[in-house]
Amino acid sequence: MWSRAVRMILVVMLGLHGIAAGEPRQLTSDGILKRDPCFVDGGKSLLYGYDEQDDLVRVLKLDLASGKSEPFVPDVGDKHHIEPKLSPDGRFMSVTECTGNLTAKLVIRNLETRKDVYITHSGRGGTRSPVFTPDSRRVVYAFAETGPQQLWSVQVDGKDKKQLTQCQGVSNWPSFTPDGKTIVFSNSRENNYEIYSMGADGSNEKRLTSNTIMDIRPVVSPDGSQIAFTSTRDGGYNVYVMNIDGSNVRALTTGLDRDDYPAWHPDNRHVVIVSEKGGRFDLYLHEVPVAGQAVEGKPVAGTGS
Amino acid sequence: MFGVGNFKANDCHGVSRRSFLKTAAAVPFAMGAGLPSLLEVQAAQERARAKSVILLWLWGGPSHIDTFDPKPDAPMDYRGPFGTIKTKIPGVHFTEMLPRLAQRNDKFSLIRSMVTTDGGHPGAGTIGVTGFKESPTVHPNFGSIIAKHRGNEGTLPPFFYLGRGIPRDLPRRIEGYGGGTLGKAYDPFLVSCSQHGEVNIPTLKMLDGITPNRIQNRKKLLDQLDAAHRTLDGAHIEDWEKTHQAAYGLLTDPKAKDAFDLTREKEKTREAYGQTAFGQSCLLARRLAQVGVPYIQVNWSEYVETFTPNGDWGWDTHIYNFELLQDRHCPILDRAFSALLDDLYDRGMMEDTLVVAMGEFGRTPKISKRAAREHHQHCYFSIWAGAGVQPGRTIGESDARAERPVTEPISPLMAGTTIAELCGVGAQQRAEMKVLDGGRVIHELL
Repeated sequence: MWSRAVRMILVVMLGLHGIAAGEPRQLTSDGILKRDPCFVDGGKSLLYGYDEQDDLVRVLKLDLASGKSEPFVPDVGDKHHIEPKLSPDGRFMSVTECTGNLTAKLVIRNLETRKDVYITHSGRGGTRSPVFTPDSRRVVYAFAETGPQQLWSVQVDGKDKKQLTQCQGVSNWPSFTPDGKTIVFSNSRENNYEIYSMGADGSNEKRLTSNTIMDIRPVVSPDGSQIAFTSTRDGGYNVYVMNIDGSNVRALTTGLDRDDYPAWHPDNRHVVIVSEKGGRFDLYLHEVPVAGQAVEGKPVAGTGS
Repeated sequence: MFGVGNFKANDCHGVSRRSFLKTAAAVPFAMGAGLPSLLEVQAAQERARAKSVILLWLWGGPSHIDTFDPKPDAPMDYRGPFGTIKTKIPGVHFTEMLPRLAQRNDKFSLIRSMVTTDGGHPGAGTIGVTGFKESPTVHPNFGSIIAKHRGNEGTLPPFFYLGRGIPRDLPRRIEGYGGGTLGKAYDPFLVSCSQHGEVNIPTLKMLDGITPNRIQNRKKLLDQLDAAHRTLDGAHIEDWEKTHQAAYGLLTDPKAKDAFDLTREKEKTREAYGQTAFGQSCLLARRLAQVGVPYIQVNWSEYVETFTPNGDWGWDTHIYNFELLQDRHCPILDRAFSALLDDLYDRGMMEDTLVVAMGEFGRTPKISKRAAREHHQHCYFSIWAGAGVQPGRTIGESDARAERPVTEPISPLMAGTTIAELCGVGAQQRAEMKVLDGGRVIHELL
């Protein structure tokens, strides 16, 4: 217990003053299971999912300056909330809410009017991985209604819901380039998850990764030049960065301890990751090597087996 | 097969030992009938190697095809999105979400041909831990059988449940959680363990603030227990007395208190298991085995439901099957189970500790229209290690789509019979206790 107290003090000190370049900066220290981080407030804060109890995941907001986390959605009752996102214009929040037994709905909240819109589909099931379009007018998400899981799009007012993809396999984790013209996502039609890009209208699809294990959770950098993603290509869950065309893959993390859920900082130079170190899950801020350079002490990503 | 009344207690060759004795007594010199029974007695004694059993109860029905029995060549609407990885055993593959266990399958054996006869959670759950359907008679949990056989040897109860509560789905709990025909005296003693390693006794929630770690003052504890006692009506007093006695022993005995104090572990050990309720419960199970508790069932969750208000993330992945296996269930299991195996090996406990991991059934290999998987009782897995189980074996085989076994099906009754046999509850004792009627030992493991 003593060492955990020391760890906490160090984390606060390092969080306030930063540490040497190249070393990840630890942002939390409670070790509780976390997921789905995303930067808000111009990079000053983070939203993330947090196992508040054995039976409740809720969204917290971490203020990076103070190191304090507080519930972002108050009065959640017994409803799990995962995958929070804020619209680029700051007017809307989306979250996946557990609304009943084996049922989860996409909720889009107008933060000015506090009005919630629930995106419904027929029967049981759950939406996945909502993301706002860069113009803040629509939300794209994954859902399986009658067969293979597809990408869908809906206006922030809940109108004009439409299916974007018609693919085999499981589609998930959409992410937009900043001009809104390209969607990057994962699909499993080739026997495992690979990363693809396509036009916002579904045209001109390109495959960006190729191996026999998972490449998931692709997230396009704010400047549109790079993609951060999770892969098991070197054994455990690790985070990688590649160019927007799939070239120049670089490992941000290595080893069997899990590193997952990458999210870009608005400065394009940092990615926050949920890392499991010593069995404890915390948020770490990693510096991204510039294209063509490997992170010191970390190998260039392998190609899987 | 020879019968004893209506009861059939089989050894690994499918013949009752009591029947052998009976037959041998009737025709003592005929065809050397006495010789096999002596051999069987000897074999049973040799197999009685498990001082403790740790059952990792993966409640809710883990997907076999997405974990330990992948089918990468099956059609797309069966195989799922996960890649496969090599394991320590040539030719055996797991999915990519289990890298630690893939490097340790030379320490355990895997059965890929489990089947059960009920497609619902409470029913299959009862079968899974008793070997029999819930009605008309509720049979004893495997742990209750071991508890009766071993008796109360120390301060600690002989049969523990580690988890939030009796396994259940939203409508009800399973019937086969406890003593069944052996009586409530052989019910499990329930202890919960949080992700921080804090141990609590849910049955003593009425005693505000009482945890094993906090009990310092014997008189204060007794006062609180007596005060709680006085609040109960007559109908509950008998149960209360039993709980009271067990809890009192557990909370005040230094050896028992030590067993529950996970802070006595090296931090590296605690970290290895992972800071999750399941991980720390696995560590607690090892500590209880270390002090001689005969049977410890670690419940993955109380509820089967995985994405439900108040649900604690069971394996019942009717929605988010692929996401939850990848995000939560498999990484937690991979870490905690691997740490438990390493820990038991490092401490030399594997020789006399039997570890079994299984759920009540598998999941439909054909992907549902919700991009998930439903219940599937026709094929699933179990994992076995220690106490004489030969490691590194893959027993049984499923068909090309993981829908049904193509080898002899292995039932929960066989699993329970094997557990009992390895704990020294041989065919004769089983017949005398009238338990595990008709089961056979899974000799392929031994």
